[in-house]
Amino acid sequence: MSAFSAQKWEKLFQNIDLFIQGFGTTLYIVLLGLLLSLVLGAIFGVISTSHNKVLRGIARVYVEFFQNTPLLVQIFFLYNALPYVGVFIPVKTIGIVGVGIYHGAYMAEIVRTGIEATPKGQRDAADSQGFSYVQTMLYIILPQALKVMLPPLTNVAANLIKNTSILAIIAGGDLMYQADSFASSTLAYGPAYVVVGILYFIICFPLARLSGYLERKFGATPKPKDYTALLSAYGMGKGAAK
Amino acid sequence: MRYKRIVSSLLAAGLLAAVTLTGCGAPDEETVLSKDVVKVGCKNDVPNFGLMNIDTREFEGFEIDVAREVCRRIYGDDVKVEFEAVTAKTRGPLLETGELDMVAATFTITDERKETYNFTQPYYTDHVKLMVKKSAGFTDFKSLDGKTIGVSQSATTEQSLQEAADEAGISLKFSGYSSYPEIKAALDSGRVDCFSVDGSILSGYLNDSLILLPDEFAPQEYGIAIAKRNNKLAAKADEAISEMKQDGELEKLMERWGLTQ
Amino acid sequence: MNELMNAFESVFTRSNIFYMFRGLGVTLYVALISVILSIIFGTILALFRAYGNKFLKGFSVAYIELFRNTPNLLWVLAIRFMVRMPEPFDAPMYSGILAFTLFTSAVMAEIVRGGLNSVHAGQFEAAYSQGFNFFQTMVFIILPQCYKAIVPAMLSQVITVIKDTSFLAQVAIEEFFNNSKWIMSAQIDSTVNQSMRVFIIFGFVALVYFIINFTLSCIVRNSRKKQEA
Repeated sequence: MSAFSAQKWEKLFQNIDLFIQGFGTTLYIVLLGLLLSLVLGAIFGVISTSHNKVLRGIARVYVEFFQNTPLLVQIFFLYNALPYVGVFIPVKTIGIVGVGIYHGAYMAEIVRTGIEATPKGQRDAADSQGFSYVQTMLYIILPQALKVMLPPLTNVAANLIKNTSILAIIAGGDLMYQADSFASSTLAYGPAYVVVGILYFIICFPLARLSGYLERKFGATPKPKDYTALLSAYGMGKGAAK
Repeated sequence: MRYKRIVSSLLAAGLLAAVTLTGCGAPDEETVLSKDVVKVGCKNDVPNFGLMNIDTREFEGFEIDVAREVCRRIYGDDVKVEFEAVTAKTRGPLLETGELDMVAATFTITDERKETYNFTQPYYTDHVKLMVKKSAGFTDFKSLDGKTIGVSQSATTEQSLQEAADEAGISLKFSGYSSYPEIKAALDSGRVDCFSVDGSILSGYLNDSLILLPDEFAPQEYGIAIAKRNNKLAAKADEAISEMKQDGELEKLMERWGLTQ
Repeated sequence: MNELMNAFESVFTRSNIFYMFRGLGVTLYVALISVILSIIFGTILALFRAYGNKFLKGFSVAYIELFRNTPNLLWVLAIRFMVRMPEPFDAPMYSGILAFTLFTSAVMAEIVRGGLNSVHAGQFEAAYSQGFNFFQTMVFIILPQCYKAIVPAMLSQVITVIKDTSFLAQVAIEEFFNNSKWIMSAQIDSTVNQSMRVFIIFGFVALVYFIINFTLSCIVRNSRKKQEA
């Protein structure tokens, strides 16, 4: 029986409802996880630019800790260690909280970079007009910083979507878990992985397109428009002179 | 442009899939019979069956001895047998890809599995058992109604328990994990109410705060598994087990590990 | 306090420590090889995409899109279970290296593309005017500048790969996290406080990963400061 035989595909379509269930769970976790990570990213990003050293320190610790330890270790900790001290978080919530906090750390860094990239004059001007710190952030700084932040933020969001697959490891009922479970019990590995790949692709692809669009619209890096003319000089690319 | 991208990506996926299908070929029947080094998959966390001694990095257990003896009888005394640790999840696919020539890893023979793998006759019979925390107060199988059972992915446990549950009229929830340490951790932390797998495997995790429920299910006959395409090797391995049963070698090995049936 | 010491001792026996550090060796080895190979293939892919003919460009885009829109875990599982590694690469960790290389090459390709875009167009002109052909321009002029610009992003990816090797525990590859889990569930007598054991082991694992990755990210930060100086 080869890896992709017809019987295996048959078994898969008989069990397609498992995959659909997993797809739904993944979507749920992705949406809530994204929301959480954006909120955490915004909060900690703003805090890390504050004048208060203690606040800055807290943000620093958050970012460094969650960026430098594996997501899997964090999830396992939530799943298997916390219950010992009486904290029992349901699996799907662990998914949301786990990916939310982890990616929130990355988003916080991006927000911080974005804020620091806005000209300092803006803050002084807002100050002179009587804006409070929070008002300055909300109405002046963040809207401008958004342009710079959006492309890398969509990158982090794409990673978040892919990282939800980690729930497969703690029996989380997401798409990857269902596929893996199904594949192990029916030995139909080939079809299962192909279908799962396609389903993840469907979830991720729109975000990738959005990211590309944003990169083109707001991208700060210079585009090598001159290259094509030079390429033809080298005899490559479109319209190459032979 | 968008559709071109989608189509080309799917084509790439198809290409990759095709490569895994056809490429990386496994050795044919004849080559597999004349190897100097035989690769055997075994467990590394089941005391008395297949356990890795982390100091010497050697595998020790009944199945290791059985596999060595079978290889000796097929290939001669000079054969070198290399063991690789497998889990219930990895043992099957690694046989199929040809990375392993044989698997002796508490692999239960079922009709469904026989469609995908060759099995020798059984060399040991075990049963599925249930392990719970003493403090949880479960008395028997029926008391697990509505509870969550931790099982290993790709093991026969879930199916056997589901059948028994249907018969007894109770309902169970299952959580599948990829290795026994994970199920044990889930039991310890309370994520599952019961850890269920073959009794011999559970014995490796039993301690003072855990207890095996009295019920036992579905006799689990362990056989050596060989890839479907290697029929000659399978026949020889089966012959070897037969011989070992007849001349008492199997019995000797079982006694050595305290496993008399 | 006595309980804590007891738990500590049961975790950090000589063989356990060796076993865990052995796993750490596998982790770092897999990460290092995967990253080096990914940089090579990623560069090739980026060059195909920027300067290749229709076929190479299409292949490169398809490859990058495929791996950037599917999870790493999927490839780890798929390759371990369906691909046979040829000799002499048949130790289990090599299938992990293959999976990570395939996946990370796509990420590296995008990073390199960003780097290529940041090199001034004028460089090409200058090189051409000096008589360099395409290959020479790339190797001696463009790529060195490109790599200098993307060192932070690449090191960031190295850190991500080191962390993601924890996935390999799923397919029974004996890396650091896998070995630590084995120790966590190993049979111990009930005089040892299991919950303390668990926290000690998690703490240790997190600490080791943190030290390695934090050190790397400090190097990244210092190199960025030097660049901007």
